[in-house]
Parts: sequence; structure tokens; C-alpha cells
Amino acid sequence: MGVTTFLAQADELRAPAVDYGAVAPVLIVLGAACASVLFEAFLSKSQRWIGQVVLALITLVASGTALAIYAGDAPEQGTLTLSGALAVDRPVLFLWATLLLLSFGSILLIADRSVEPGGAFVAEAGVRPGTVQDRAQAAKSGMQTEVFPLTLFALGGMMVFVAANDLLTMFIALEVLSLPLYLMCGLARRRRLLSQEAAVKYFLLGAFASAFFLYGVALLYGYAGSVKLADIAAAAAGTNRSDTLLFAGFGLLVVGLLFKASVGPFHAWTPDVYQGAPTPVTAFMAACTKVAAFGGILRVLGIAFEATEWEWRGVLWGVAIASMLIGAVLGLTQTDVKRMIAYSSVAHAGFLLVGSIALTPEGLSGTLFYLLAYGFTTLAAFGVVSLVRDADGEATHLSQWAGLAKRSPVVAGVFTFLLLALAGIPLTSGFIGKFVVFSAAVQDGMAPLVVVALVASAVAAFFYLRVIVLMYFSEPAPDGPTVSVPGAFTTVAITLGAVITLVLGLWPAFVLDWAGAGAFIS
Amino acid sequence: MTPTYYLLLSALLFSLGAVGVLVRRNAIVVFMCVELMLNAVNLSLVTFARINGELDGQIMAFFVMVVAAAEVVVGLTIIMSIFRTRRSASVDDSNLLKY
Amino acid sequence: MTTGTFAAAEASTASGLAGYAWLLIALPALGAAVLLLGGRRTNAWGHLLGCATILAAFAYGVALFISSTALDPEERTQDLHLFDWISVNALEVDFGLQIDPLSLTFVLLITGVGSLIHIYSIGYMSHDADRRKFFAYLNLFVAAMLVLVLGNSFVMLYLGWEGVGLASYLLIAFWQHKPEAGSAAKKAFLMNRVGDLGLAIAIFIMFRELGTTRYDEVFSRVGELGSGTVLAITLLLLLGACGKSGQFPLQAWLPDAMAGPTPVSALIHAATMVTAGVYLVARSHPIYDLSEDGRLVVMAIGAVTLLIGCVVGCAYDDFKKVLAYSTVSQIGYMILAVGLGPVGYALGIMHLLTHGFFKAGLFLGAGSVMHGMNDEGNIRRMGGLRKYMPITFATWGLGYLALIGIPPFSGYFSKDAIIAAAFSAEGWRGWLFGGVALLGAALTAFYMTRLLILVFLGQPRWKDLRSEDGREYHPHESPLSMTVPMIVLAVGSVGAGAFFALGDRLAAWLEPSVGPLEEAHGALSHTVVGILTVVLSLLGAGLAFALFGRKPQPATRPERVSFPVRAARADLYGNALNEALFARPGTWLTRALVFVDNKGVDGVVNGTAALLGGTSGRLRRLQTGFVRSYALSMLGGSILLLAALMMVRFS
Repeated sequence: MGVTTFLAQADELRAPAVDYGAVAPVLIVLGAACASVLFEAFLSKSQRWIGQVVLALITLVASGTALAIYAGDAPEQGTLTLSGALAVDRPVLFLWATLLLLSFGSILLIADRSVEPGGAFVAEAGVRPGTVQDRAQAAKSGMQTEVFPLTLFALGGMMVFVAANDLLTMFIALEVLSLPLYLMCGLARRRRLLSQEAAVKYFLLGAFASAFFLYGVALLYGYAGSVKLADIAAAAAGTNRSDTLLFAGFGLLVVGLLFKASVGPFHAWTPDVYQGAPTPVTAFMAACTKVAAFGGILRVLGIAFEATEWEWRGVLWGVAIASMLIGAVLGLTQTDVKRMIAYSSVAHAGFLLVGSIALTPEGLSGTLFYLLAYGFTTLAAFGVVSLVRDADGEATHLSQWAGLAKRSPVVAGVFTFLLLALAGIPLTSGFIGKFVVFSAAVQDGMAPLVVVALVASAVAAFFYLRVIVLMYFSEPAPDGPTVSVPGAFTTVAITLGAVITLVLGLWPAFVLDWAGAGAFIS
Repeated sequence: MTPTYYLLLSALLFSLGAVGVLVRRNAIVVFMCVELMLNAVNLSLVTFARINGELDGQIMAFFVMVVAAAEVVVGLTIIMSIFRTRRSASVDDSNLLKY
Repeated sequence: MTTGTFAAAEASTASGLAGYAWLLIALPALGAAVLLLGGRRTNAWGHLLGCATILAAFAYGVALFISSTALDPEERTQDLHLFDWISVNALEVDFGLQIDPLSLTFVLLITGVGSLIHIYSIGYMSHDADRRKFFAYLNLFVAAMLVLVLGNSFVMLYLGWEGVGLASYLLIAFWQHKPEAGSAAKKAFLMNRVGDLGLAIAIFIMFRELGTTRYDEVFSRVGELGSGTVLAITLLLLLGACGKSGQFPLQAWLPDAMAGPTPVSALIHAATMVTAGVYLVARSHPIYDLSEDGRLVVMAIGAVTLLIGCVVGCAYDDFKKVLAYSTVSQIGYMILAVGLGPVGYALGIMHLLTHGFFKAGLFLGAGSVMHGMNDEGNIRRMGGLRKYMPITFATWGLGYLALIGIPPFSGYFSKDAIIAAAFSAEGWRGWLFGGVALLGAALTAFYMTRLLILVFLGQPRWKDLRSEDGREYHPHESPLSMTVPMIVLAVGSVGAGAFFALGDRLAAWLEPSVGPLEEAHGALSHTVVGILTVVLSLLGAGLAFALFGRKPQPATRPERVSFPVRAARADLYGNALNEALFARPGTWLTRALVFVDNKGVDGVVNGTAALLGGTSGRLRRLQTGFVRSYALSMLGGSILLLAALMMVRFS
């Protein structure tokens, strides 16, 4: 190709039109993330924490405001922008709002410095764990405030991920959301060996999974000649090209997505990483990553692979069943509270997948509602976990939780409520979420799958109730953990999560209406 | 020469990388195997671009390279920090978190 | 007239005075609520409020009745929708009332007799510390009973049905300090459950087959059902009726229920609640019309029960229990009547009304006697009371004449008509049921005369005795608040029958609800049956005189008696029968189920739990902590997933 032809083509290049109103929430978050990096560079150490917290909270509020303003008069059908790379439609707006709200709670948990004096994050990441210097840093009041820009980048990546309308954008967004998370996992102030191990495992497996995702993208590109979701859908609807490419590409792509969503059998990282990561980061991952991953799954399945639904649906049935059973059964014998919630999240991922493969408007709105409800419940649950501590930091072993209700009835009461929500007991958002998802699945002819899901729910209820029984009907251990009086940040985050769990359990209609306001566009 | 061979080579490289992740203990080597998988994908992308007669795939390969570079930065940081702690780069040494 | 056209003529929307029919239920319910929630503060005036609400309801009922008589018969059935009560998927139940001649008749009976008994209770319960609670429960009962008769669907009926069951339970056990009251209440509650189960299942069947429980819709479409289904519904409804109305084989609770205060026995266990079974059958007549076999069973139950009641009544020495068995037997007559079909529905209701008057009067008389005799209930410790309680004696005597069917008292008209109608049944049935009914009339006269002689006539046997609490007996007439209701009821006992029966007044009034009364043409003509009835009743009474009237009776009950008397004293082994038929197999079944539950169900549950726990314990070992094994599981999962996808696509 000669230089002249290239120049001739360059004349035809046009900068794509950008609907700044539609993408403002993402731009604000990513811009603030960059600003946050500059804060790290230029603010003095004493100012960094307050500067970062204020910046992060303002960013979330500003982004939320921009979202609300745009949503107020957004086109009903949604809009495509950045030459079709991003789709901003009703489900995306709902997911963005969910992500921003959940991040708000997560940022509050991350920023808290009163539960763990100095915060949950390491003061100097360079110090080797287990040394004298490490013990000294654990007692220091500062923290590595890099966690704030990392959080903002991850959030930005998640927001792009759920709106991505082609697989390349989706891949970039996947990496933008994943890479900060790998680092955040390794930043715990205490038990740094565990924390680093979690980071290494998450990173290696995450990179492994993105390679699968990317190979899937490549095969689909080979199949459809394009990575746009709409083009893949069009190609799948009617071509005589090799279906091997299509289904191999689909399988590998979905593996990458299922890994991020911690759906079994691609869940192996989940318990280890949830347990090892600093608890606020675990909360952020459990709530937001789940939302982003399922947002992506919903979009990919709903747009690109709708036409081939009957070929892949049976396979994803199997995956959903495996995930629900793995989560429910393995959760039974866990002795660490964070690991237990991790397996619970694997089971919930299975329930969410049930809703996701029902490609109906009810399935979409039900899954979106479930994501919002589950996100807040699990966020608050990890918030409570961070409160129960002994001299070595958080007391996450279940035996240490025995008789907690006698020492701190309020904390035990809130945690009981959250566990009931995770179990799906009525009057909580968990019940409504399961109800809408399962009824959508039944309507779409997946009654046997729903039966399995109900059995799994019943099995999973056992380990939630076991914790409740432990808290209320066991004698507290003499050297048991104390419950920290939470600072304002953690209190707000836990209250936010618990109140939303309750409100969505009592008056779910308005959120269900929002969740069902529109469909994906491509 | 038909492009199909390039695709097969790419698949072979990808498999090699995947198997490498499973069998190698050194974290750096495991990570390099992942990079091998990514580059196998790049080969596929370029081949498909050639088959389809357009540039998209080649441009995507550049994106993948950039992402891989970013991944290297993050990955090496994490591996370095754990190497400093444990004086070992073996991934099998990190198994405190289990069951 | 077929059922279809009958139902089609139903239900204009209630307007005018009938639009306020909810007041009928609301007033007593309000009274009950105020008395129960107000607590001790309402002690001083609670009984007055209780009476006032019932009287107001009665006044409204009378006004409604008068306004209704002004309408054409076709317009007398009115429907009043209050609110949507249950609205779940296909199940739509309104809280709606149906005001028609049948329900209005019951409204008048319930509120009328209810008012009298409320007033009576002011005097009767004046010494009781919990009088307020008593009135609250009575109000609750009246409200529930009105729901039962006014509801426009079987579910509404069921609501009232359970409500009166609750009130009955509370009132039987009102004197909680008496162990027999507690056990009687429990017995009543449990035996009623057996019946309620039948009613509930009948309603389920209707909903399943017809998708509705509203009377008008069920009755207009019942013809669509197969004969087997109709038979099942009739038998299940009958089971419900047997439980509530003390019919064989569920009759044993009713005599025990006399452990409650006497006004309760009069109102609930004689005049109103126990007749709910008759109401149920009469109300469901379009269903029974379709099932000859169902009606035959109804008649058989009625006939058996009326005989059992009479025979046992002859042997008992407890004043109220004799009356209770008399009630059982009289309800047997009513059930027999409604079992006869179109020739009997109106007659059953008529007997129900006259019986409501004279039996309530008899019970109130019994209460008055016991009130004056230190709550003594054993008739062998009475005798010669007519001199001490003249008003009670006179009113009781009138009720007695009414019950044994001496013309021109009310019982004659209603019972005689039923017996005549029974003879009109086809073939052997006419002779059998007619004969049983005639025999019952004679026996009724016998045991009632025995009661009359032992209580009011003969020698006073109580002079040398003391009551259980050591006091001497000083029989005295009761206060005005008690005697006035007795007098009013006595007037009803005398005149109600003639009023209802002459010119078929009641039958014509009820025609929109239960269909026209068909003329009964039987093996024996009406006149012959009338004469036979009176003669047999007189024979029975004479025999009683010969046995008990001519020589002094012992104050303790003779133990060396013949087998029939022993059997009758043992309730004709009704309890033993229930024990053998239901309780014992029930116990066995329970034990077997407990065994299955312990070994089988618990075994499965515990086994599953152990299996899951074991699986979990083993599987978690797969989470080895080695990142490479995790990668292997991911790769394995991916390969499986790809293989599955390929298999689905290319197989």
C-alpha cells in the first residue's frame, strides 16, 4: 500500500461524533482517575488521604448527577456514540447508576480509617511482610492512597465494559477494570502474605482468562469479519461461514466473562481472593465486578448471540447448575466468613446466570434488579465483616463469631438481616430478586432449571442460618473478638446497604420499573 | 500458502501457552506463557485480517500489545513483591489460601 | 322449576335500605371489639353495649324485612358487594353479602332470639366476674353467625362457619375452672374440625371444577359437573353439616357442650349455630336437587340421628343434656326434611324456626330452674318445682307442648309436616323414614314428659338434700330480665307454627331462595299422619306418666337397669363408636406416621444433609490453594464447555 493511497484514505478519516452528554459519567470518572494519579504525585503525604477521598466522593456525585441529567431526557431507545463503540441505552443507564451507587459505598469502606486505625491498606507497600519494618508500618497511621485512583480506574473500566458495543472495546475495558483490582488485592495492611498471594492468584488466573476471552474475540472476528456485536449477530443469523469458529469463539469469550463473574466452574479464584484481599476491596469486587461482568454477559448474549440461543442455552444451563451447586455445597463446610460469602457469591452467580440466559425483557429486568439488590447486600455484609476484630485484625474465622449477638446485638442483628437477604427470605431484596429472576426463567420455559435453583437456594440457606445460630445460640468465646465502633464512613456504607436491602424487599416496584424501562440497542 | 496454516499455528501456540501455565512453576514463566497465548491470538487476528482483506484485525493486534504491556507492568509488580517476601518465584509456594 | 332458571332469576344489586346490610355484621362485631379491647374499663356498661348492638341489629333486620316484603318476590334477592377480599390469580372472593328471604329469615332468628338471650344473660350472668367477656364472645358469635348466613359465597360461609366455631369454643370453655368445660370445648373443637375438613374440601372441589365459589355462579353451573363430582360435593357438605349440627356420627360433642353457661346452650347449641348444617343443605339445594343418592344419605343421617337423640334422651338425668339430645334429634328431623328435596326444604327451615323458639325457651327455662337451684342440673334432685317457679313452669310447659307436637302449638305444624313429607318419599323409603319419624315423635313425647314430671311435678325430692357446695336448696323465681325473654319465647312456641304454616306463608316467602314447596303425596294422607302423630305423642306421654308419674322417684339414679337403658346412658356407645372408628385408627395412623417420619423422612433429610456435608468436605479439598490446579480446572471447564457447544451444534 503506497504512501499516496494512505494519504488519500487519511482524507476520508473523520473524527467520530461524540455524544458528550451520554458518556459524561464515564468521562468524569476516568478524568478524575487521572487527576487522582496527579494528586498522588503532587500532594504532600499528609494531604493525600483527605484530597483523594474528597476527589473520589465528588467524582461519584458529579458522575451520578451527569447520569441523572442525561437520563432525564435521554432518547427512549438509547444512543450509540463514539462511532458505535459505546451503546448508552436504558439497561446501561441502570447498570451505571448501580455501579456508581455501589462504588460510593465501597469508597466509603475503603476510606474508613477508624475501624482499623489508619485504614485497611498498607502504609508502605514496599516493606517486606513479616519484618520489623512491617510491624512498624502496620502501626503507622497512613495508607497507600493509590487505592483511590485504582478504584476510580476500575470503576471507569466497569462502566465502559457494560456499555461496550464491540468486543475490542469490551476487552480493553475488561483489562482496565481488572488490572487495578489485581493490585488492590495485594494492599492489605495486615496478613500481607495472604493479601499478596491473593493478588498473585487473581492476576495469573485473570490474565489466563483474558487470554481465553481474547482468543474468543479473534475467532469471532474471523467468523464475522467484525467485532461489533451487531455484526456478529447479523453474521450468525444468516451466513454459510464455519459454525466451528462461531461456537469456539462464543465458548472462549463466555469463559472469560464467566471467570470475571465468578461463575462455577470458573470460580476457583473467588474464595482465595475474597479471603485474602483487604475486606473493603473484597466488597468492591463482590459488588461491582459482579455487576459489570453480568452487564457484559447480558449484552453479549442478548445482542450478539440471540439468534443461536437454542444451540448454547443447554450448555449454559449446565454451567448455571454447576455454579449453583458448587456454591451451595462447598459453602456448607467453610469456616471463614469471607470464604463463606465468596461461595455464596458463586451460588448467586449461578442464580444470576439463570436470569441472564432467559433472553426476555423480564429476564433482563429481573437480572438487573438482582444485581442491584445483591450488590448492596453483599457490600453491607463485608462492611459488617470488617467490624468484627481481635488483636490481629479482622476475626474472620467463624468460631470467633460465636455468641456475637450477646456482645453486640446491633451488629449481629444487621448481619442476620443481610444473611437472610442472601438466603432470599421474604421482606428482603434477596427474595424479590430471586422471585423475579426465577419467574422470568419459568416463563421462558426453564422450569427444571428453576427447580434446581430452588434446591440450591435451600441448601445455601443452611450455611447462612448456621452463622445466625452461631451468633445467637452459642456462648461467646472468652477471648473472642471485639466489635469496633464503626466510623461515620463505614456506618453510612453499612446503613446504605441494609436500608436498600430492606426497601427493595418492601417496595421493589419502582426499581423493577426502572430496570425494565428499555432494552439493549446495538 | 493458505492462511489456514497460520490459524493452526496460532492455535498450537495458544495451546502451548495454556499447557505452559499448567505445568510451569516459576511465576515469571507462567506469566510468559500467558503472554504467549496473547501473541498467539495476535497471530490469529492478523491472519483473519488478511483473510478478510481489511485492516481491523491488525489494528486490534496493536491494542492487544498495548494491553499486554500494561499487564506486564502490573504482573511484574505483583510477582516482584511476592518474590521479595518469599525469596521464591514458585507459584506453588503461595498456597496459604485454600480449602 | 329447574336450577338453571332458578339461579338466573338471582341477585339485583342491593340498594336503599339493603345497602346498609353490612351494619348487621358490623354492629355486633363492633360490640365485641369494644368489649375485648376496652378491657376492665367497660365492665360497668359492657353488657348493656352488648345488648344494644344486638337490639340495633335486630331493629335493622326487622326494617329490612318489612322493606323486603314490599318488593316483588323476584326482586327480593339482593347482592351487596363490600370489598374484594381475596384476589389471587384465578381465585376471586368478594366480601359480599346476599340478602334474600332465606338469609333474612335467619337474620331475624339470630338477632331476635339473640336479643332475648342477651337480655336474659344480664340476669343470668349477673354474679359472674367475667360478664363483660361473656357478652363480648356472644357478640362475636352473633357477628360470625350473620357472616355465615349473609355471605354470598361458600368462602364467606366458611369464614362465618369458623367464626361461630371459635365463639362456640370460647363460650363452652367459658367457665375455665371446670375441667369438664375445658374438655368439652376441646371435644367440640376437634369434632367440628372433622366436619370443617369436609366443607373445605367441598369448596376446593367447587373452585377446581367451576373456578368460583359464589352461590349464584356455582348454582347456575353445577349442572355442568359429572354426577360423581356432585355426589362428592353433597357428601362433603353433609360431613360439614354433621360436624356443626351434631349429626351422626359427629353428635357426641353437643351434649358435652352443655358444660357452658345456659344462655350459650340456648342460643348457640339449640337455636342458631347447630342449625347451620340445615342452612347449608337448604342453601345448597340446587346441588342436592341434582343428586338423588346424596339426598338419600342426608335423609338416612337425619333419621338415624333423630332416633339416637330420642333414645339417649330417655335415659339421661342431666336437665340440659336431655335437652341437648332433644336438640340432636330435632335437628335430625330438619336434616331429614331438607334431605327430602323440594318437598322438604321449606319445612326444614320452618321446623328450624319453631324449634329455635321453643328449644331456646326450654333451655332458658332450664337455666332459670338451675339458677334457682344452686346450679343443680340433676333432675332426680328436683321435683315439684311448679309451685316455686310458676312463670318458669308455665313458659316451659308451653315449650314442652310445642316440642312434643300437640296442636295447636308450633311444633305440631312443623314436625307433622315433616313426617307427612317423609311418608311421601318413594316406595320403601317413605315407609321407612315416615315410620322412623313417627316413632321419634312418640319417643320425644316420652322423654319430655319424663323431664316434666321429674322437674316440675311430683314430690319435691330436694328438701333433704344439699348442693355440692353444701348449701340448702331454696328454689325461687328468676328476676324479670330472665322471665321476660322466656315469656316472649313462649309466645313464639305457641303461635309461630300456626303463623308460618297456615296458608304456606313461610314457604311462599322462602320460595325465591329454596324454590317452591312441592305438595307431598305419600302413602298416608296428611290428615292420617296428623292424627297418628298426635295419638302416638299422647301414647308416649301417657307411658311416661304411667312409669314416672304415679309413684315417687328415687333421688339417686337406679343402677340395676336393663340393657337398653344402660346403652342409652352410654350415649348408645356413640363415644365408643367414635373411639373405635376414628380415634383408635387415628392414633395408629399417627404412630405409624411418626415412625415413618422418624425413620424415613428424618432419615432422608439427615441422610441428605450428611451426604451434602460429606460431599462438601471432600470437594473443598479440590480447592488446593495451588494456582496451577485452579488454572487446570478453568481449562478443563473451558474444554468441557467447548465440547458441549460443539456437540449440541454438530450432533
